[in-house]
Amino acid sequence: MLGGAFHAAVLFLVSAGLQLVFGVQKILNLACGSFYALGAYLGVSAVTWALGAGLPAPLFVVVLIAAGLALAVIGPVVERILRTIYDRDESFQLLLTFALVLMFEDVIRFVWGTAPHQLGTVYLVYGQLRIAGSTVPVYNLVVIAAGALIALGMGWLLTRTRFGRIVRATAENREMSEALGVDMHSVYARVFTLGVALGTVGGALVIPATAATSEMGIELIVEAFAVVVIGGLGSMRGAFVGALIVGLLKAGAIAIWPEVEMLAVYVVVVAVLVLRPTGLFARAAA
Amino acid sequence: MKTTRRQFLALTGAASAARVLRLDAAPAFAQAGPVKLGVLAAKAGVLAPVGESGLRGVTWATERINAGGGILGRKIELVVEEESSPKDTVERFRKLVLQDKVDAVSGGISTGVGLALGPVAEEMKAIWLAWDATTQKGVDETMPKPKYAFRSTDNECEAVMASILTAKNWKGKFRTVAGINPDYSYGRDNWAAFLAIMKKYAIDVQVVSELWPKLGATDFTAHVATLQQAKPDLIFSCFWAGDTPIFMKQAHGAGLTGTTKFVLTTGGGVHESLKRAFTPEGALLGYNSMYFEHPRASALMKEFVRWHQEKFKEWPSYESDHGYFTIAAYKAAVERAAKAAGGKWPSQDAVIQALEGVEVESLSGPRRFREDHIMEATFFQGYTTHKNKHDFVTIDPVEAMGTKQIQKPSGVGLYDWINSWKV
Repeated sequence: MLGGAFHAAVLFLVSAGLQLVFGVQKILNLACGSFYALGAYLGVSAVTWALGAGLPAPLFVVVLIAAGLALAVIGPVVERILRTIYDRDESFQLLLTFALVLMFEDVIRFVWGTAPHQLGTVYLVYGQLRIAGSTVPVYNLVVIAAGALIALGMGWLLTRTRFGRIVRATAENREMSEALGVDMHSVYARVFTLGVALGTVGGALVIPATAATSEMGIELIVEAFAVVVIGGLGSMRGAFVGALIVGLLKAGAIAIWPEVEMLAVYVVVVAVLVLRPTGLFARAAA
Repeated sequence: MKTTRRQFLALTGAASAARVLRLDAAPAFAQAGPVKLGVLAAKAGVLAPVGESGLRGVTWATERINAGGGILGRKIELVVEEESSPKDTVERFRKLVLQDKVDAVSGGISTGVGLALGPVAEEMKAIWLAWDATTQKGVDETMPKPKYAFRSTDNECEAVMASILTAKNWKGKFRTVAGINPDYSYGRDNWAAFLAIMKKYAIDVQVVSELWPKLGATDFTAHVATLQQAKPDLIFSCFWAGDTPIFMKQAHGAGLTGTTKFVLTTGGGVHESLKRAFTPEGALLGYNSMYFEHPRASALMKEFVRWHQEKFKEWPSYESDHGYFTIAAYKAAVERAAKAAGGKWPSQDAVIQALEGVEVESLSGPRRFREDHIMEATFFQGYTTHKNKHDFVTIDPVEAMGTKQIQKPSGVGLYDWINSWKV
C-alpha cells in the first residue's frame, strides 16, 4: 500500500506537469519524462556536491528540491522552441517533443556519462518507521507527503490565485482571454516552466531511493500516459487520482499476482477508454 | 644544374625501384595494415556499466598487445560501436563487417542481442566472440553448431554454483524462499535452476513469493513490501546490473536485511555500488568469472586492477575479463594458425579452427574455448563482509568453481545433467 503510494507520488508530479501543459497549451509534451530524468541527475550531482561541502546529511532533501526548482530555468527556453508549433498539427508536436526526449537523453549521456548514478546512503538517513507491522523508510513518507503537499499547493494556485484564474481562463478560451488583455506569451512561458518544475522536482525526489539512468524518462512517460488516460487529459484532479490508481494497482498486483503487474494497469486503461473515453475527470471542453 | 631528360628518367626509375625494394623489405604483414576488430559495447541504461567494463578489458588487452608489437607484427585497431536493441545492434554488426571490414567482432551482453547476432554472424561469415548474451534458452535453436559464433559460458553457471553453495552451507537453516528476478529468460532460468538444485539436494523448500520485475526496473518498493509480507528465510536474486543496489537499498530500508539470507548470484558485477551501509554481511554474492580482490590473483590480474584503478578510479568487474579473453584468444588463435601455415597470415577458416580449443591466460586464470565454441572459465563467489578498506562489501572467504563442475557438458540438457549428479 505504502509502496504503491510512493510510486504514485512521483507519478503524480510528472503527470501533473503533463496535464498542466496540455490543459493550457494543448501540447502533449513527451519531454516531461526528460525533465524528470534531468531532475534526477542534477539531484544526484547537487546532493553529492553539497555533502562534500559539509552539508549535514538530513538537509539533503532541501538540496534536492532546490536542484529540481533551479532546473526549471530550462522551461522558458524549451517553451520558446515549442512556440513555433502551437498552431501545427498534433503529430508535429508529438514529433518535436519526442525529438526533445532523445536530445535530452544524449545531453544526459554527454554530461553525466552512461553509468547509472545514485546517492549512496542518504536514503536511510531519516531511519525507518514501523507501521502496521511492516517497516517503512521515513524517506518514502517524506516523498508521499511532498507529493500530497504539492497537489494541495497546485489546487490552491489554480483555484485561489489571480494567476490560477488567468491560467484557467486561458485553458477555457484562449482567444477570449487574449482579447481581455492577457499576455499569452508570458502565461504560456510561466505555465510551461511550472510544468517543467513539477517534473524536475519529481525526478530529484525519487532519486535517493533508486538510481538515475539515461532512459528513466522514457519509462516514466509510458506510465504517465496511463495516468492521463485514466484521469482524463488536462485535468489536475485526474492526474492525482490517476496516479493513485496506477500506483496502487501495480503494488496490489505485485503482492497478489506479480505476473499481471503491467496488464492490470492497461486493463483499466482500456476499460476507461471504452466506457468513458474522456477519462474520469476531464470536462468535455478541456 | 639543368637536369637532362635522361637523368630525370634515371632518377624516377631509381626512386620507383627503391619504393619497390622498400615494400619488399617491409615485414610480411605490414603492407596489410592493422588488424581491425569490431567491438559492440552497451552504453546506455542499466546495461551501461557492464558494457563499459567489457570494453575496458578489450582496450587493455589491445594496448598490451600493441605495445608488444601487435599480432604477428600487425597492430590491432578497434572499431567500437554501441550495443542497444537487437535490431540496431545487428545493423551495427553489419556495418562493422561490410563497411569497416573488421576481421572479427567482440562483444554483446544482452540475451536478446545475442540471439539476434548469432544467425547474422553465420550468415555474414564473420567471426563473433561474445562476452555474454549466449547463456540462455533459445541459443541452441538459433545457433545450432555455430561456425562463426563463439559463445560465452553456457548455462547459468553462477546460478548453479550459488545453488550448490546454498545447499552445502545453508542446508537446514532455511525453509521458506522467495525469488525476485528480472522478467526475461535469464531471470527465469536462474530461478528454475535454483529450485531444481534444491530438489536434487533433497532440500524441502517452500516458495512463498516469486516476483518478476521488468528488466531495467528502478523501483522495487512494491516488491519489497510484498517480500515483507511473505517473510521468506531466504531471498534468491540474479539481478546483475544497476538494479542490484537499488533493490538492496530498498530492501534494507524495509528492514529485510536483518535476518533474511540473501543469494545474489550475479550482483558482484556492480560490486562498488553495493555499499556497506545497506548490504548486509553474510550474503552469498557472485562475481561471475572474475573477482577483483582475489587473494591469489595472478600478476596479470594485479596489473590490470592497478591500471583500472588508476585510470577510472574504480575496481574492475567480471565483464572486463570476458572482454580481455576474446582479444587474447583471437591473438593466440591467429598465431597458432600462422605457425601451422608456415608463418603466413592465416585464412579465416584456419583462425576459426585454431580458436576451437584455444587456451590462454586470462585475467582471472586460464580460460579456453571448448571445441563446440563454448567458453570455459572459473567462477568466484563468497560471503559478503564489511571488513575491508572500501565503502562497499567484498567477499571472504572466496570460493572458486570451474566450468567443468558447474557447466553442462556439450549436447546434454541442463536439467538432465543436474539430475544425473551424484550428491
